[in-house]
Amino acid sequence: MSSAISVRRLTKDFQIGIRGLKLRAVDNLSLEIPRGQVYGLLGPNGCGKSTTLKVVLGLVTATAGEISILGHPSATAEARSRTGFLPEAPYFHKFLSGRELVTYCARLSGVLPSDLTTAVEDALGLAAMTDAADRPIGTYSKGMLQRIGFAQAIVHDPELVILDEPTAGVDPVGSAAIGRMIHAMRDKGKTVVLCSHLLGQVEQVCDRVAIMDRGKLVLEGRVEDVLARRDRHVMTIEAMTPAAREAAEAALAAHGAQVTSVTHPRRSLEDLFRELVTGSRDA
Amino acid sequence: MTPSLQRTLWISRVTFLEAVRQRFFAFLMVLGAAMVLSSVSFRVFDFGHGELKFIADFGFGGMFLFGSVLSVVMTAQLFFSEIDNKTALTLLAKPLSRSEFLIGKFFGAWAVLGVFVVVLSGLLGGVMWAREQELVAMAEQAGKVPVTFSASGMFQFALLQWLRLGVVITIVLTVSALARTFLFTVVVGSLAVVAGQLQWIAQDAVLKPTGSALYGAFLWLSTRLLPNLQQFNIGDALVLGATGVPGEAVVEVALSGLAYMVAYLFIGTLVFRRREI
Amino acid sequence: MRRYYASGLALLLVVGAGAFSEISWRSVRPSIPEIGRKELEPTLGQGVLLGILGGLRTVVADLTWIRSYVLWERKDRPGCEALMRTACALDPHSRYFWENTGYAIGFDMAHWEIRRRGGYAKVPAETQQRLFQQYARRGIDVLDEGIGRSKAPAPLLLCAAQLAETKLKDHALSVRYYQQAAESHDAPWFAARICAVIMWEDGRKAEAYRWFRKYWTERMLPKDDGYPDDLRQLRGMETGLRLKPEERIPRPSWER
Repeated sequence: MSSAISVRRLTKDFQIGIRGLKLRAVDNLSLEIPRGQVYGLLGPNGCGKSTTLKVVLGLVTATAGEISILGHPSATAEARSRTGFLPEAPYFHKFLSGRELVTYCARLSGVLPSDLTTAVEDALGLAAMTDAADRPIGTYSKGMLQRIGFAQAIVHDPELVILDEPTAGVDPVGSAAIGRMIHAMRDKGKTVVLCSHLLGQVEQVCDRVAIMDRGKLVLEGRVEDVLARRDRHVMTIEAMTPAAREAAEAALAAHGAQVTSVTHPRRSLEDLFRELVTGSRDA
Repeated sequence: MTPSLQRTLWISRVTFLEAVRQRFFAFLMVLGAAMVLSSVSFRVFDFGHGELKFIADFGFGGMFLFGSVLSVVMTAQLFFSEIDNKTALTLLAKPLSRSEFLIGKFFGAWAVLGVFVVVLSGLLGGVMWAREQELVAMAEQAGKVPVTFSASGMFQFALLQWLRLGVVITIVLTVSALARTFLFTVVVGSLAVVAGQLQWIAQDAVLKPTGSALYGAFLWLSTRLLPNLQQFNIGDALVLGATGVPGEAVVEVALSGLAYMVAYLFIGTLVFRRREI
Repeated sequence: MRRYYASGLALLLVVGAGAFSEISWRSVRPSIPEIGRKELEPTLGQGVLLGILGGLRTVVADLTWIRSYVLWERKDRPGCEALMRTACALDPHSRYFWENTGYAIGFDMAHWEIRRRGGYAKVPAETQQRLFQQYARRGIDVLDEGIGRSKAPAPLLLCAAQLAETKLKDHALSVRYYQQAAESHDAPWFAARICAVIMWEDGRKAEAYRWFRKYWTERMLPKDDGYPDDLRQLRGMETGLRLKPEERIPRPSWER
């Protein structure tokens, strides 16, 4: 089976000014994104990840290289009909209601009139937007805008969903909701490509990651593999006394091991925040 | 209906809804309507043209002026709002071709201008009809031949104005597809409207023999690249029948307008296909 | 390659649309007499452009006319004439503009020119006469154009006739204008009689009588009271021509 996205030797130059000075945004990038996984594309601002996604979606033409989506050349109607996209900081027509927007996008994506109602309701349900679906988009909060954007991206049941900074500007509760949606998509066998610089979130939801810097790929692999340090171990011990500690260190030393640091475990601030405001929703 | 046509119509529909909700549209519509209605009050400043002609010219002027502003500024705004707000990214990532997007934008904007023309020409026709009734009665009492206006001529004029504004929209969309900023589009679009209004000067010159081959070639090229927008301004002849316009001439002007629209829209889609969003 | 085909097709479409507009322009051009006139050339770019560019021509024409009155008060001949002609050009259907432009140029402007050159005492009589004739000719030219465009041209014809009679001293030309005025659908009652009198005084007595008799019989006699003053004029002509009783107009019942 072909990859969800296959990028081979992609280079993208932008011309600047009348004299046509070149700015290389992506430099000889090759990537294979397997199907059915959540794939994180990481990197600092300006590293070329959004440009890469735009080239993949056919919104920007490549200077060199080949790209295919689900086995089809990118930028073809066939490839795009099987792809959903949520751009960074999406803006939708404020006068439309959420349901109207999703219906509009469904029709543009080729959903048949007979399947329209089911498709729209499913997408709204998955994005947890059913209750607010009839309100004008102008009244939505940032988190709701992202969720309705997610709904419009998946309304035609695409095999590949591309999300560009889906949690930018969204509070942790909203971020967690989007994370759940991503997992739900993966559970349905979809491929999700996530472009973000929020590393904590990527670590939580992604199966594989690629890290880009200055237009080049610097690291690619499974999250566990790239993060794991095989020469270090962490043990969490409860009710440890000074005597117990000394005994444990002596026992480890007898086997040639050495304790290099002992600290108290900490919760992340995000975990604490989510624990405190659990159940609250931005509506 | 083909899927492509359906997608185009959906873009048109949303574009239309977005445009009619704009304050700018409402503002110009109210200004145009006020101009038409106020023509009855201003007719005291008239120097014996015939009241109906004065009222008609006021209405034609309003339709021309505000229609042109609306078609340039609103079209550019509708296009750039999609680009700047990244709505275009969302839409064009779907199986929607750039031609469908641009043509959909065109029909949406043209429909809005259609509403504008229908409302203003309806108002103008109403005002002229009401005043005509009074003038006919006065003329009959005085034993004079009254000046009358033609409702079918008004309909034809409204149709031609709509076509003229359609040509302007296609020009602005073509410029938008190429331009990077809203301001540039509005400036170039406005200049194109003025050039189109004055194209007849070159057209008249082409129809006369010229000594210089180079000058002749320049004139010929000007008439081929710039649209002749002046040919749509035959309101006097159509509505008041001062000189009369043959039916075939009206049909030819209408077909000419359609030919311009197809040509500019085609160029616009070619340019837009290569644009990086 | 496909790109070149598309560009070629685009060029073909634009050129085709341009060629088509040439055909439609030929058909519709006569319906837009307001534009493309020499009178507008010196004033292009002075606000008149707005008038050419579309509607509002009448309004711009009115404003131009008001401005021309200011210059008329100041006896600024070039400015006044340019603006009056511009008003005519912007709204060629307005008889009012043609008529008053003809009067102003034909009757007033020669006087302004004489004053500008030092006054009646200083300017030789021959020069004065030449100026009167020169401006009368220009006034008549303006009126001629207006006559061609007006649906009710009698006032313009009368004005031209007066200029020809009083300034050009060309009675034959004056008679032609009076005749046209008398025969137009909006002819005033006095046009034919004045025409006949001028012809009579110019020595064309038999011709004057024949024409006036025919005119009175066909157009005046059937009206209201039959215009007894015209009949009185005709009787005087019959006497002057010493016509026999059977050659004269049969006596209507109401004639005293």
